[in-house]
Amino acid sequence: MSTIDPSMANMLEVFISESIPLFEALDEILLESEKAKNISERHINEIFRIMHTIKGSAGMMGLEEMSTVAHAVEDVFFIIRQDSSKLDLVINAIFDLIFKSTDFLKAELDIIQGIDAERQEHQPIIDELHELVNAMNNGTTAQASAPKASGAADAAAPSDAASNSGSDNGGTDGKFHRLRIFFEEGCQMENIRAFALISQVKDLCDELESVPANPESDSNTSAEIVKNGLLLKFVTDDVQSVVSVVETAVNVQSYELLDEHNDVHTEETEKEEAPSNAAVKVEAAPAAVETAADETKKPAQTDMPKIAKQNLISVNQVKLDQLMDLVGEIVTAESMVSSNPDLKGLVLDNFYKSTRELRKLTDELQDVVMSIRMVPLSGTFQKMNRIVRDMGKKLGKSVELVTVGGDTEVDKTINDSLSDPLMHMVRNSVDHAIESPEERIAKGKPEMGTVTLSAQNIGGEIVITIADDGSGMNTEKLMAKAKKNGLLTKPEADYTEKEILNFIMMAGFSTNTVVTEYSGRGVGMDVVRKNIEKVGGTISIDSKWGVGTTFTIKIPLTLAIVDGMELAVGDTIFTMPITSIKQSFKISDPKQIIYNTDGTEMIMLRGECFPVIRLHQIFDIEAKHTDLMEGIVLQIEYGDKMGCIFADELIGEQQVVVKPFPQFLNKYNIKNCGLSGCTILGDGSISLILDANTLLNYFER
Amino acid sequence: MDEIILEKNNAADDLNGRFLTFYIDDTVYGIDLLHVIEIIQVPPITHIPHVPNYIKGIINLRGKIAPIISVRLKFNQQEIPYDEKTCIIVVVINDMHVGLIVDSISEVANIDSDELAAPPQFGSDLSNQYLGSIANVDGRVILNIDCNKFFESDLGIISSY
Repeated sequence: MSTIDPSMANMLEVFISESIPLFEALDEILLESEKAKNISERHINEIFRIMHTIKGSAGMMGLEEMSTVAHAVEDVFFIIRQDSSKLDLVINAIFDLIFKSTDFLKAELDIIQGIDAERQEHQPIIDELHELVNAMNNGTTAQASAPKASGAADAAAPSDAASNSGSDNGGTDGKFHRLRIFFEEGCQMENIRAFALISQVKDLCDELESVPANPESDSNTSAEIVKNGLLLKFVTDDVQSVVSVVETAVNVQSYELLDEHNDVHTEETEKEEAPSNAAVKVEAAPAAVETAADETKKPAQTDMPKIAKQNLISVNQVKLDQLMDLVGEIVTAESMVSSNPDLKGLVLDNFYKSTRELRKLTDELQDVVMSIRMVPLSGTFQKMNRIVRDMGKKLGKSVELVTVGGDTEVDKTINDSLSDPLMHMVRNSVDHAIESPEERIAKGKPEMGTVTLSAQNIGGEIVITIADDGSGMNTEKLMAKAKKNGLLTKPEADYTEKEILNFIMMAGFSTNTVVTEYSGRGVGMDVVRKNIEKVGGTISIDSKWGVGTTFTIKIPLTLAIVDGMELAVGDTIFTMPITSIKQSFKISDPKQIIYNTDGTEMIMLRGECFPVIRLHQIFDIEAKHTDLMEGIVLQIEYGDKMGCIFADELIGEQQVVVKPFPQFLNKYNIKNCGLSGCTILGDGSISLILDANTLLNYFER
Repeated sequence: MDEIILEKNNAADDLNGRFLTFYIDDTVYGIDLLHVIEIIQVPPITHIPHVPNYIKGIINLRGKIAPIISVRLKFNQQEIPYDEKTCIIVVVINDMHVGLIVDSISEVANIDSDELAAPPQFGSDLSNQYLGSIANVDGRVILNIDCNKFFESDLGIISSY
């Protein structure tokens, strides 16, 4: 059981925030490598470093289980790093096992954070990892007898590989100790430092060999030392004193004492005790804390040379939310000042000049704060990759996830609330939509199913689509199910295809009769819809039987501040987002007003007819004007829908901070009757924000 | 009436057994002081469409949006025009601020537990179903509103969210 030392509590946050990106990076590497069926040298080093960092920091936090698992993984990659040909021996098993290990580590991390995750036993994983280590080591001995095989060894460390097998033989007598030393990054002249160190320990040892062999004579060895460290092989009676020399040596970042247990001829009986002492690694003691902290930073800098050095700072999200709120208040306060009723009728040229300046600055401030909160969707998309892989394996389907536009940025809150719905939909697609390979071949489709996840930024909205080329939805089946569940509200024949598809997003509707591990409990799509609507988004479905299904999610870029046009209807002030307004006008010619057969009013505009929504009617307000000729008409649009709304008068344009309706009113579903929220105006009064989408839906009812 | 902000009493013990009493017509009602945040005058209320009539709308409570409920309408009584005595008691329930419009505020009463009696279990009067207890203090009857019962119909759905 991992428990946290209370004195470490404040370090815990740092540990968690540093580990999460590491795991994400690791997943990415593993998925990429699995696809390529090989792990490149760069990736091997990266995995090794990540595991090393996690091991170190988890150990520091007193999280024994995490530390040992990370250690075991590190062991695996340590061997591969030395001799990449050994990777071929285990290529089939390694990915599943490493995924399993990272899952375990992630679950542990979740538990620490108080998230309910399934606690797993770490011993079986460690056992498996050690079996892998053994398999690789035994494989080497087998290869060693066939000398040709070593030719496949990693060219970067040929001497390393050779010396490895050499020490393998020497290891059995238990005298040979191996010590791997890493110098501080960027300390320069590694070869000279290595030589200095060698001469220091030389007197303590009966025999001493080093890899590379003569560092002082060849400065090219520096690069090798930086990469693989300096390997000392020595025979001595007093290991401890050698270690202490190394420990106190200048510029040594870390060192590893590789015990003979780690070597090839591990007896079966030794296997049990192997986990704890396979390789004893100690952080350079004097600066344990700093070193661990350094290590987390360094891999990020050195392993990703593509990314320019950035100065990053991680901030608690609560603070960002506060900042956002504050900016919202400033925007309100600014308009409170500049359109203060006390100023009415005064000529204040200088004052208005200053308020314009203020306005410009608040706008800028708002933009900056918004951009701080923007994060790319790629992290969320990355998670889906993993889900598709795992599910495909478990369900025996071959599925590929294609992601497009992962660099699209959205507000952090939106990003967070998207993660669950997307995961659910991707799961649905793989579980229900994609057919088994045989079925697909029989249907003449490519054997590999494809789920495409794409994101785009289209005019103030993020459009995310989840498309699969699976079986599609059977509208007849859906209809029958809806009928059975009593979800129909009008005659069966009146339902359009779109409406039938929308059934799947209603509560208590699930067409899959079999409940699987992944989906089919009938609580899915309606929750997805609710989550998306919570952040002001919409979701629509398009499906063709036998061809595939596409879900389209549209979400506003940011939630907080919109440019709005204020309209008065009676005493109530409404705000219409300017993005939804096409034009506003007064009706000059009574002939423009025409009546439909059922009495609904329409307005003729340039040869096209648009229905009219009277705000005072739908919101039941006593208006100043009820004659269409007297009030003002706004033409609004949302997507491909267009219509007109009728109000008393226009008041003016203003930036408003959107506030949600009080939770207390959730029950009454105000959002479905044309209002998306409210806002506080400069004078402290409240204005209701109109929602073009739901307003225009009035005509469809 | 000036805005009265009740002195902040952090110790819950000090608030126990204390009720803010208010009038609807001539009846005295009490509300547990634990729930009460402040008492304010009636500001302009923004009407909200498609909600029960007793929800009068929303107000701006120093930057927070709070719904306003007319206690009279909730009790199915006739609404009367607001005068200078009408005020809003802001209460907090499930971390949400809600304002209650009452005819006038009376006082903060200390009620010992032996002065409390269970409310009648019958009665067609709607107001009875929101009561938590009935107190008899110095010959005056105070009907204590149970906030959870009072807001039950509005909160029912939220808890299942």
